[in-house]
Amino acid sequence: MVIRVTKNDNRGTTSGGDPTFDGDRHWQQAAQRLYEPDRDGGLTTAIVFAIADAADVLPSELTSPTLYETVDVAGIEQAFFSSHTDVTDRNGAGSVDFRYTEYLVTVGSDGWIRVHERTEPETV
Amino acid sequence: MTDDSTRGEVADTGSETPPTGDRFPAQEILELDHVYEALGHPRRRYLCYSLLEDTQWSLTDLATTIAAWENDVPEHEVAANQRERVYVSLYHAHVPKLVDEGVIAFDDATETITPAENADQVLAALEGVGASLDSTQETHARGDTGDEER
Repeated sequence: MVIRVTKNDNRGTTSGGDPTFDGDRHWQQAAQRLYEPDRDGGLTTAIVFAIADAADVLPSELTSPTLYETVDVAGIEQAFFSSHTDVTDRNGAGSVDFRYTEYLVTVGSDGWIRVHERTEPETV
Repeated sequence: MTDDSTRGEVADTGSETPPTGDRFPAQEILELDHVYEALGHPRRRYLCYSLLEDTQWSLTDLATTIAAWENDVPEHEVAANQRERVYVSLYHAHVPKLVDEGVIAFDDATETITPAENADQVLAALEGVGASLDSTQETHARGDTGDEER
């Protein structure tokens, strides 16, 4: 199985500290995955695999809710990764955040999918 | 002269029956939207092709069939990770999309897919396309996966 997943590796865009959302709640990265269209066969699969990695379950065990009910993945795919976008051109042009159950998922136009989980403020 | 006046009368009687006028175009455009949405991704086309072969599918069997198509291997040679990737994209994207479009019904408990109310029109369109482009050609025409998820 060739799945390139790196845990708790704050390389790149999160170097300035974990993002803060919902007021004072803090988040830390639990998993990340680089979306590779040829391997993953679609952004939905890449996102579900990343969340499953963060949750420490098999991707097929992540059943409810469906990603389809949660976020417009086809829209993200079209905006960031449409057919003729070269990988080398994806240089931090933007990102999309959304919540999936207790996780915060960030999809960057550079192809990195980052899954964050809450940490208690005092532990940060 | 007489021809012109005849045409005028025919046109007049035609304009007295508006119901036929607004029933036709609006309805057909709506139906085409379903067809385009349903068939707008290679995996959804495969899924619909599969409904032409068999009217009931388990999600796992369907994922195996589609992974075999995409990887160009016999079904018994489909690797677990190949099947899992397709299964996840069916479960989290394409099945709920087709349920939304009224093309299939999905039983969550048994993970079984069956045709729904709009299946006939979508499958009819698919068969029309299939007359000139069969499922084998479709595989080749697809090129690479995942570049038209819309």
